[in-house]
Amino acid sequence: MNKEYQVTAGAEVHCELKSNTKMFSDSNNHYGTFANTNINEIDFAYPGVLPTVNSYAVELALKASLAFHCKINKKMHFDRKNYFYPDLPKGYQITQARSPIGVDGYLEIEVDGITKKIGIHDIHMEEDTCKSTHYKDKSFLDFNRNGVPLIEIVSEPDIKSDKEMIAYLEKLRETLLYLNVSDCKIEEGSMRCDVNVSVSKTEILGTRTETKNVGSISSAGMVVMVEAKRQIEELERGNQIREETRRYDEKTNETVLMRVKEVGNDYRYFPEPDIPFLVLEDDYIEKVKSSLEILPDERRKLYLEKGISLVNANKLIQNKQLSDFLLGLEDIDLVIASNLLLGDISAYLNKTEKGLTSTKLTKDKFKELVSKLSSGEITNKVFKEILNDLMETDSSTLEIISSRGIQTISDTSYLTELVDKVLKENEASVLDYKAGKDRALKYLMGQIMKESKGSANPSLVNQLLVEELTKR
Amino acid sequence: MSKYLDKSIIEINELLKKKEIRPIDLVEEAFSRIEENKDLNCFITLNKENAIEEAKKLEDLEVDNLLFGIPIAVKDNISTKDLRTTCASKMLENYVPIYDATVVQKIKDKHMIIIGKTNMDEFAMGSTSRTSYFGAPKNPWNKEKITGGSSGGSAACISQRIVPLALGSDTGGSIRQPASYTGIVGMKPTYGRISRYGLVAFASSLDQIGPMTRNVYENALLLNELVGHDTHDLTSVLRDKEDFTRLLGKDIKGMKIGIPNYFLSDIVSNEIKDKINEMIALLRKKGVTVDFIDIDYIENAVTLYQIIAMGEASSNLARFDGVRFGYSIKNPESVEDLYRKTRKEGFGKEVKRRIMVGSYLLSGENAVTYYNKALQIRDDIRKSFQKAFKTYDLIIGPTTTTVAYNLAQDLDDPIQSFLDDVLVIPVNMAGLPGMNVPIGFNKENMPIGMHIIGNSFEEAKMYQLAAWIERELNLNLIPGGNACE
Amino acid sequence: MEEKLELYEVEHVADLARIELTEEEKEQYAINLKKLLNEVEKISEIKNYDEELLITPVEHTVSLREDKNESGISFDKVKKNAPRTSGNFVEVPVMIHE
Repeated sequence: MNKEYQVTAGAEVHCELKSNTKMFSDSNNHYGTFANTNINEIDFAYPGVLPTVNSYAVELALKASLAFHCKINKKMHFDRKNYFYPDLPKGYQITQARSPIGVDGYLEIEVDGITKKIGIHDIHMEEDTCKSTHYKDKSFLDFNRNGVPLIEIVSEPDIKSDKEMIAYLEKLRETLLYLNVSDCKIEEGSMRCDVNVSVSKTEILGTRTETKNVGSISSAGMVVMVEAKRQIEELERGNQIREETRRYDEKTNETVLMRVKEVGNDYRYFPEPDIPFLVLEDDYIEKVKSSLEILPDERRKLYLEKGISLVNANKLIQNKQLSDFLLGLEDIDLVIASNLLLGDISAYLNKTEKGLTSTKLTKDKFKELVSKLSSGEITNKVFKEILNDLMETDSSTLEIISSRGIQTISDTSYLTELVDKVLKENEASVLDYKAGKDRALKYLMGQIMKESKGSANPSLVNQLLVEELTKR
Repeated sequence: MSKYLDKSIIEINELLKKKEIRPIDLVEEAFSRIEENKDLNCFITLNKENAIEEAKKLEDLEVDNLLFGIPIAVKDNISTKDLRTTCASKMLENYVPIYDATVVQKIKDKHMIIIGKTNMDEFAMGSTSRTSYFGAPKNPWNKEKITGGSSGGSAACISQRIVPLALGSDTGGSIRQPASYTGIVGMKPTYGRISRYGLVAFASSLDQIGPMTRNVYENALLLNELVGHDTHDLTSVLRDKEDFTRLLGKDIKGMKIGIPNYFLSDIVSNEIKDKINEMIALLRKKGVTVDFIDIDYIENAVTLYQIIAMGEASSNLARFDGVRFGYSIKNPESVEDLYRKTRKEGFGKEVKRRIMVGSYLLSGENAVTYYNKALQIRDDIRKSFQKAFKTYDLIIGPTTTTVAYNLAQDLDDPIQSFLDDVLVIPVNMAGLPGMNVPIGFNKENMPIGMHIIGNSFEEAKMYQLAAWIERELNLNLIPGGNACE
Repeated sequence: MEEKLELYEVEHVADLARIELTEEEKEQYAINLKKLLNEVEKISEIKNYDEELLITPVEHTVSLREDKNESGISFDKVKKNAPRTSGNFVEVPVMIHE
């Protein structure tokens, strides 16, 4: 590819908000119900109806705006965007053209080890349209989706590659999922991405094309790549790039022209007179801010600081219930804790098809478990034995161990005998240890634990072993 | 035939309480009056069966309020469940709403009986009621004359004493102007007083429902029942409950009244100016201060109205697209075909003109150049009125520039349509309450009305002045009766 | 000659309004819309007090609705007024595919 060209991309992402009811009417917002069952007079735009504003949708939009470091418009209004289409019953969409709830934000992405900020131009609230299906010469309208609250997140043209596009969208999705703002399911349409791409050899941005409704995050990356390639080829052939709307064909991995944009769409925006100014008081904003979940970035940072590997840190973040379980448990040994959660506990949850919160494992019980493992009072083998009881009964680690007769052996005279026996049998290792080879200590430990069939108290054994070795 | 419907509401209420009459007697009388006055064309749809059924049900109930059992007419742009609501348009000729407007619910809660839906300008767009798809209503004072509009049917049926109570709506004078032409009392309350939920929107930031009645007291009584905050209408205002009749009969001495110079400029006919001047003299004699004042930009209000009202209307009427309800062409070839032909055939000329004007003034750069500017000047008009109300209790003037003119007069005369609305529109621009009270007749015995404008939420004070004038003049306001002069 | 809009301008407005016009009507609108525009242009000369817009004459701000389902209607009710339905859907001529 010609290196002189600089690729510039941006994304416009629509996310359906996870509210019970619609943005401007109190009918249900449920995905996947029978056609035209979540409807009322307002959704059908009957003559005389008026909008109301869903407080929870506003809260979710505010959360998203805060999470992406936007400046909050404390006094805003809605606008009407006027156009005719059968999926738009009022003939206008209520949106925020002039005073979006959040402006000038950003999110951070990391690509190839380099951290970069992608600007967010604005986040605004609006309403979804009807779902339409087409058969032969007819179209069929389902009003269930009409009026579902949306936020549109418009990025700045700061994205320079397919990798950055993917990282941007993944970060966006991860954050919104964490905030419980949206399901962000592209396949169900609760997240929809339009990708803008332009290429230029100079500082001045080239003419951009918009590729609508891209089917997945990885496809959005592909769009940046193939659309840039197409535009460069066009330019190299001496052609101009037109402002146009395209779609992405996953099968052929190319973008296809849908329509050339007319001389600007004439949406006749004007302030929505049915809705007075919406004012967000400072203490309300503060309250919402303080209720924000700890975001993935912050969690990842903590995990890495606490010695968890990047792979495991990411695994935890992807599995929000596990990550949430660790909230408030920051002072325990997070390495052991994460290993337990990602290993045997995850396996148990998968096998039993349970969510962590529907088991009997409380944070307190987990804290005790980790501390016993950390101090060596119980071994991993014991943990495996008591896992089911921990998950299915109210009993604590100690209670399970004593009731089931599992006890680590802390009888010093017995253990000293055991240490003595193993040392005698492994004189070569003793010499290795004396010669400064640390591995020998681990080997000897293992032999002793094996001899005790895993029931010796490991820290006590360690202590006795070191004492004995120094004597020799 | 009985004449119960000529009696005052208080008298009717007494008779109902004493069980000397039943609600059904009132309903039957109303329908026979409708029959006698068919030529006035006041109604688009009658609610006969249902009204009779309701009246019978009321016989078992206690007469619990003054408006119990009183027949009421409702303008046909107010949504009535299971009762056809046409907005006087072919577009909604067969539209039967599935919900009641909030005001209709309130009327039903007080056991008033809806007699029918009144004639009006199509989608309330007009000042003569002649744009109705169902033909124009006629003025009871002279059947060659217009009723005014757009609430012409409601005005005519009150004027003719067909029913004692009616609802109108006022976007740019549509209650006050026909009230003036037909010699009745019409109130457009403060914007936000009455829920607009269920009022088919013409211009959302200007529309307001209001009572139209034979006299001031009954107007205040009806307003008492219509107001109130409604969670379905974000522009409705939360206020303490008040009794709008509370200042009736109170002395007006010491009141301070302003008259904008523009309201008595040469746009107003002499016979009306003279009448207003007589009123000024009368008020001054009574110890009321009357000063001439200026309100900034009121002379621009009609232009602002063109921009704002038509802009909002072009958007509000986009929902009439032949998809979910209303008129729809047969066998459309495409969605575009469906839209364009349905709207071409379903809307009348004036409605199309206003949608075109609104679309034009919002298109391209116009929205920024003119619409924004109009909203700014609108804010200034409001502020200018607010300033005046720091000094004056009320503002008065004529409601109309002339008396009702001939039905045959050119409908498309732009100067006439300007004059129709010029005195009443500034009130809608500022969101203030305004009312008409009859003050006399011209030589041809056509009614003349006075316009009373109050500060926001001061309807009670307006009624106080209106009631004083009503009592002082003691006009015979029954058409065909003896006019004072 | 009378001032008027270009025909394409009138057609653009009619497109926005989705109203089919006859040639005669277009001609009338070309004249009348231009007249109106000249009238409306006068307001741009007015020096307003401040930049504040009056969007709605009420002074209160929005009170937000609780996110609770309070209403719903069945499709049967909708059907009675809808010109074309099919099963549980509102039907229209096929929409131009995006």
